Amino acid sequence: MATIAGTEVGATVAPADLGEASAILAAAAEEGGAVAFAGGGTELGFGYPPDRVDLLLRTEHLARVVEYAPADMVVEVEAGIPLAALQKVLAASGQRLALDVPHAELASIGGLVACNTFGPRRARFGTLRDLIVGVSLIRADGTRVRGGGKVVKNVAGFDLPKIVVGSLGTLAMVATVTLRLHPLPETVALVRLEHCSASHLRRLTAGIREARLEPAALLAVAVGRGYDFFALFEGFEAGVAQQAERFAVLAAGLGLEAEALENERGLDAADEDVRTYGDLRLRFAVPPASLERFEIEGLEPLIRAFPASKLAIYPSLGVAFWSAYATDRESAASGAAAARAVAERMGGNALLLDARDSWIRDAVDVFGTLPGAFPLMKRLKERFDPDGRLNRGRFLGRL
Amino acid sequence: MVQTVDRAAVVRDLEEAVGRGNCLSEPSDLRTYECDGLTGVRVRPAAVVLPSDTAQVAAAVRVARRYGMPIVPRGSGTGLSGGALPVEGCLLIVLSRMNRILDVDFDNLRMRVQPGVINLDVTRAIAARGYYYAPDPSSQSVCSIGGNIAENSGGAHCLKYGFTVNHVVAATLVLSDGEVVEIGSPAADGLGYDLMAAVVGSEGLVGIVTEAVVRILRTPELTRTFFATFPSTDEAGTCVSDIVAAGIVPAAVEMMDALAIEAIVKATGVDWPLDVGAALLLDVDGPSAEVEHTAAAAVEIARRSGAIDVRMPKDDAERALMWKGRKSAFAAVGRISPNYYVQDGVIPRSEISRVLREIAELSAREGLRVANVFHAGDGNLHPLVLYDARVAGEEHRAELVGGEILKICVRYGGSITGEHGVGTDKAIYMGELFSDADLETMNYVRCTFDPERALNPGKVFPTPRLCGDIPGAYAPHATERAGLADRG
Repeated sequence: MATIAGTEVGATVAPADLGEASAILAAAAEEGGAVAFAGGGTELGFGYPPDRVDLLLRTEHLARVVEYAPADMVVEVEAGIPLAALQKVLAASGQRLALDVPHAELASIGGLVACNTFGPRRARFGTLRDLIVGVSLIRADGTRVRGGGKVVKNVAGFDLPKIVVGSLGTLAMVATVTLRLHPLPETVALVRLEHCSASHLRRLTAGIREARLEPAALLAVAVGRGYDFFALFEGFEAGVAQQAERFAVLAAGLGLEAEALENERGLDAADEDVRTYGDLRLRFAVPPASLERFEIEGLEPLIRAFPASKLAIYPSLGVAFWSAYATDRESAASGAAAARAVAERMGGNALLLDARDSWIRDAVDVFGTLPGAFPLMKRLKERFDPDGRLNRGRFLGRL
Repeated sequence: MVQTVDRAAVVRDLEEAVGRGNCLSEPSDLRTYECDGLTGVRVRPAAVVLPSDTAQVAAAVRVARRYGMPIVPRGSGTGLSGGALPVEGCLLIVLSRMNRILDVDFDNLRMRVQPGVINLDVTRAIAARGYYYAPDPSSQSVCSIGGNIAENSGGAHCLKYGFTVNHVVAATLVLSDGEVVEIGSPAADGLGYDLMAAVVGSEGLVGIVTEAVVRILRTPELTRTFFATFPSTDEAGTCVSDIVAAGIVPAAVEMMDALAIEAIVKATGVDWPLDVGAALLLDVDGPSAEVEHTAAAAVEIARRSGAIDVRMPKDDAERALMWKGRKSAFAAVGRISPNYYVQDGVIPRSEISRVLREIAELSAREGLRVANVFHAGDGNLHPLVLYDARVAGEEHRAELVGGEILKICVRYGGSITGEHGVGTDKAIYMGELFSDADLETMNYVRCTFDPERALNPGKVFPTPRLCGDIPGAYAPHATERAGLADRG
């Protein structure tokens, strides 16, 4: 029997096309059935356990490229297509979706939209919120609707595409997604600095800004008592070489030695190593300038409590991913709560990324303190899904 | 409606809300506010208030609601789609006096501003330190941040940097019942639904932004600009496509056709040639070596695509002049025609040449000249339909031509607006782009914020839509099945 975060699933269905998916949702509406969605299943651990799942709708057969216009650098895909499969199609035309996430072979575009998942290249390209230009949805009542379009610049009507990004499948089923693309870079340079301190992270990030470098990604990964700092530069040969060189000079000024890595895989591997580790995974977001203080007040106690934990920081974004094997419930609960309190005090937040294990989700809340605008969010949910049947109970405030 | 209530009582309560000097109700004072940038339509508001802070906005909203008055928010009033056009009996809330910059946070690249702050003043406040605010609508020297948020304004450089929605991260919002809520987050992502995405571009239908936190960016190390002329828009269109196909993401690529060039030359005195069919103005920016490379590559592509001449400005002053020419294009058209009607459609970039040819055919058929000046990089057309209002029927024909152009854009897979908004002007075309169910779903968002539809009624949606109760599964009413009524 399939389960989602411990909740048993009544029946599973994998529609062959969007028409069938729409009919299934209409039938579920008629019967009052609670519906959950799954793409590659990589993020099914995120969110509260659903109250009830009468039907799990899998999108694995909804994986077509609906329309790809390389000259317009826009692609429309069905929600079930895995990111890596899409990238392969795009690469044939020298293009890409500027999104880097762990498990790209499995992770579906629809699931990534639902969770607004991102990777270190967010520093340059933003998240799916910045890349999505159109969406077609299947509403809770089975009706198919569209928002946005297939041109990047478009302000006609309310921005349904961005509203569903990060909504965890609680407003509607994402049926197709239209995305803005970027060219594959002519060349890349990945530079690594070892043995950085927390203050180095701040000074490097500030130095990059002052030097007006435009890295595609910045990542710091905790190693021993310090960090490995990665800077990725992309673009045309001459520009990339100049930026990598300037970055090395900047590093030397701080007494750090720059090492050029052979390719960009080192960045993705370092990121993925942290984000797929352990059974207790948290993501923190604080204003970037508060990061160093958060590292001391929020993360260090957590790392002391779990010496085998792993940590990845996106320094220009104020984001930190922390993963551990939760050896005991008490320290998991108190450590996470204390770090979250620090982040919230700074105006940020903390998410429990994987609540698959029952004792972890009993120990650590998924979202933390509700924002002041939560009543509006609740009303939005009620408008889209008046009977509360879509991914019932999974989202913020158990919407 | 205010006419049916005690007018003196309304004015008294509004004065109490915003202060006596900040409330206008005399017909002569109200005339200024009868229209926005869409000057062809005028409606006099019942009253105007000019609040100075969030509390005053909230108080004014509550007064309006107490008397059942619809509420229309307005920034600088430069919008071109009638988004700030008053509706009968409304309270117009003008935010132009809320024009203070509240905080600049260089460490976090954030700035907190009131909605009446002029777009260009955001950049001016931080330029000396080497920072700027990216969205740059052509009206940036007069339009306000609040209006930009309502319309999700773009501008020439949104090709590389994105739109207002990508640059506003948090806001204080006064809802239609006077409640004040904070949305968005100072951290990379807030919790829960993305309410900023619901607010930016909502054209004043969901709330009134009284403070906004915007992202600021470091000024690029180097910007290279070229101005290239072509025999026709075909070669210019090919040039744009080829630049993009070469993996170059310019900061901006603007196209002007012969008529637009003529108008700009007459109005601004720039020394652009008049015997060409089209011109491109292109910016690439970023770290110096990257920019030198892409600029050289773009010039080479322009030459290969048949450019007659490619000019690079010799200094910043000349570059500024080139951009001034482009940004004054709308006003410049006033030099070659007594009246003009600005349109704002979007098409896939690869269809530029074909769509321009269709517009030319339409222009010839209707006997009205159309000047084209547009953001070619993202396919955002601004056809200017020239007419003479003194000639009976010409104004109406100009509007029809504008409407036909939008239909062409939709036919090519584009949109009816790229940055000017739907407002009053284009509500009737929403049905070309969206089904009833699409619009009903967008209405869910509106009703979440404003269930009584008190804010900016009559805008965006083609037919009045009720919010009603929380909807159940859709079941058509008998009158709908009979085709006698519509859900709206």
